Amino acid sequence: MGEEGKPKYVPDPNSAKAKLGNIAKQHYDNLWVAKEKGEMIGWCASNFPQEIFQTLGLTVCYPENQAAAIAARGGGGRLCEVAEGEGYSNDICAYARISIAYSQVKDIEEQNMPQPDYLLCCNNICNCMIKWYENLAEELNIPMILIDIPFNPDYKVSKEEIAYVKGQFLDAIRQLEEITGKRWSDEKFKEIMKISNRTSKAWLKATSFCKYSPSPLNGFDLMNHMAVAVCARGTLEAAEAFELLAREYEESVKNGTSTFRAEEKHRIMFEGIACWPHLRFTATQLKSRGINLVATIYADAFGFIYDDFDGLIEAYCNVPNAINLEHARDKRIALVRNNNVEGMLVHVNRSCKLWSGFMYEMSRQIAEECSVPLSTFDGDQADPRNFSEAQYETRVQALTEIMEANKGVR
Amino acid sequence: MAALQDILQEFHRIAASPQELLKSYLGQGKKVVVCSPVYSPEEIIHSMGLLPFGTWGADMEIREAKAYFPAFICSIMQSILELGIKGAFQGVSAIVVPSLCDSLKCLGQNWKYAVPGIEFIPMTYPQNRNTDYGKEFTKAGYQRVIKDLERITGETFEDGKLHKSIEIYNAHNQAMREFSEYAGNYGAITAADRNAVFKSAYFMEKSEHTALVNQLVDALKATEPGKTKKLRVVTSGILADAKELLAILEDNSIQIVADDMAQESRQYRVDCPPAGTALDSLAGKFAAMGNCSVLYDVNKGRASYITELVQEKRAEGVIYVLTKFCDPEEFDYVIVKKACEEKNIPLLQIEVDRQMVNYEQVRTAVQTFSEMLG
Repeated sequence: MGEEGKPKYVPDPNSAKAKLGNIAKQHYDNLWVAKEKGEMIGWCASNFPQEIFQTLGLTVCYPENQAAAIAARGGGGRLCEVAEGEGYSNDICAYARISIAYSQVKDIEEQNMPQPDYLLCCNNICNCMIKWYENLAEELNIPMILIDIPFNPDYKVSKEEIAYVKGQFLDAIRQLEEITGKRWSDEKFKEIMKISNRTSKAWLKATSFCKYSPSPLNGFDLMNHMAVAVCARGTLEAAEAFELLAREYEESVKNGTSTFRAEEKHRIMFEGIACWPHLRFTATQLKSRGINLVATIYADAFGFIYDDFDGLIEAYCNVPNAINLEHARDKRIALVRNNNVEGMLVHVNRSCKLWSGFMYEMSRQIAEECSVPLSTFDGDQADPRNFSEAQYETRVQALTEIMEANKGVR
Repeated sequence: MAALQDILQEFHRIAASPQELLKSYLGQGKKVVVCSPVYSPEEIIHSMGLLPFGTWGADMEIREAKAYFPAFICSIMQSILELGIKGAFQGVSAIVVPSLCDSLKCLGQNWKYAVPGIEFIPMTYPQNRNTDYGKEFTKAGYQRVIKDLERITGETFEDGKLHKSIEIYNAHNQAMREFSEYAGNYGAITAADRNAVFKSAYFMEKSEHTALVNQLVDALKATEPGKTKKLRVVTSGILADAKELLAILEDNSIQIVADDMAQESRQYRVDCPPAGTALDSLAGKFAAMGNCSVLYDVNKGRASYITELVQEKRAEGVIYVLTKFCDPEEFDYVIVKKACEEKNIPLLQIEVDRQMVNYEQVRTAVQTFSEMLG
């Protein structure tokens, strides 16, 4: 096969990378064990308040993670077409199409997970989540719980919004107790909040090392590690693994080493979800030009820091896609400045109307405020058909040339 | 019949001239507030002595809005923004945009920078709306709208006045339901006529519109429905507004006997119920609303709502008018399709877009559907 003789790369088992990889793998393994034991399995939105089901001791899995994994392993197009065959438009979010298709196909080689007994939905990332989960609930005839966190048109979260979400939070606990027979414990809830904060702090600390020049990490690492921030935020193992990751980055800064295996000539902010089906190509095009990804709002999307119950709700109301343009812009401006970003590469993601729908204006404002060049490209988080290598390459090249000109390198 | 035709002509005139009407309202010194889809709280605006003026965009070429929206955002949002940028709403006090879908959320955010001269007022609704905390949140959204309207227009809100406006809107709902009921049985009422009656409602003060609709219904009552060989169809979707589409329906002898369109009957199904305050009553209305792609419904009641409507109206099929890039409708389509298949109800999906120029594919599809059922 041409690859014979080339040893497969195995990370040091004591490294954060290996530990995080194991947590992600363990997550899927545990699901099957739980299913075999007869436990009920939930399918859960990535930004659903995990403190709820962690406290109840429920086993859930994440269709968004699964769809990303399927897309990264080459199955996105095939599953999208299955959904389209059922009548789903090819304009619908590809994660949703893949997930709905998987709920029918049930067994694939890229990434299996057990079928759900109930659904936990939260729309703080988009209202498309509601429709996706409504359809799953209808097609599979299983209960669905929605925690509705509306898009906030104001800069700050209002007390009325906190009260509304809190009401739903308490209702969700009651419904889940009924569905699963598990019981809520305030003590456990406190413990879970503590661990979740610890994990989030460690995750945010690790991502903050991007501010160093050169950065001790290849920014694409964050896209991979993020899976753990999504699926295991409330676990000690995840907290410890992220703390280890932060220590490793700290060490790398001291030693001048990096997981970015090229000279870091340019530092960019990448906007949007990765193009999972074309991850290698998109990353290589950057690396070959010495461009490292040192900022992405997506990474911070899963760092929830809070002091109490109201603070927890506020944190879930403040996720990147639930906030207004000014708030979203200012968060990014802070990232650009803190991390010495020299250019912006914006993924206009056909799957994500909300993320892309006011991105042009917001990007213009960030670029102007921070005096950095901006380049956009059309793509998709999981449908391989909505991406052009040629366009990507041209746009990245254009961005590189402006960044070089800005440095007077020419 | 002359009277009937005269009244219909009036609806067509109004529906076809939003720009002229808006100018005339502003010329009369009226303060106008633009209401964007899908459910703006018009009653509040009306009660403050302001004129709610609805918009669902327009069939037009999109140019300026492309600097704000990528191509895969629906053309209703794109054309509303385009109209705003091009000055079509110049002189109005504000625009209210409820954020019931992802594209509407973006419309509001883009509006602030694309149309800086007209203030954006957000209306944030809850999806878990029929609970005590949901109703409180709906009211908080209304209060936010009121506060902004008071600041921008200098007018004040009074619950008693809202009560009166609610009565006017409930009466309008009733009139629209009655019209839909009658229109479906009169072969002389074309799809374009029906559209003109529904569309004109957005450009008129509601008590005036009610009076005109009641005249029309009286004229219909005085007329024999006559035997018609037209195909009885229920339409479903966001809007069926394009002249070409309406002509195609008529050319193929299609009679809309009921609809589940967001721009049409979805607006008029639910009245404000009695409650302690008028604002509670309005929140009660939103809580009771459903069977709509932008309102959370775990039971997908819309699908059975449509099949029951078909049975009740003795319709022979359903035309699902899909607005391109409207993902709430795209998701619902699959469930509606299955429900129709289970009940052996013929269903045709046609995709439309406010930038569409060529309707030949739609013509062929409608023609085939009509021949199949005829």
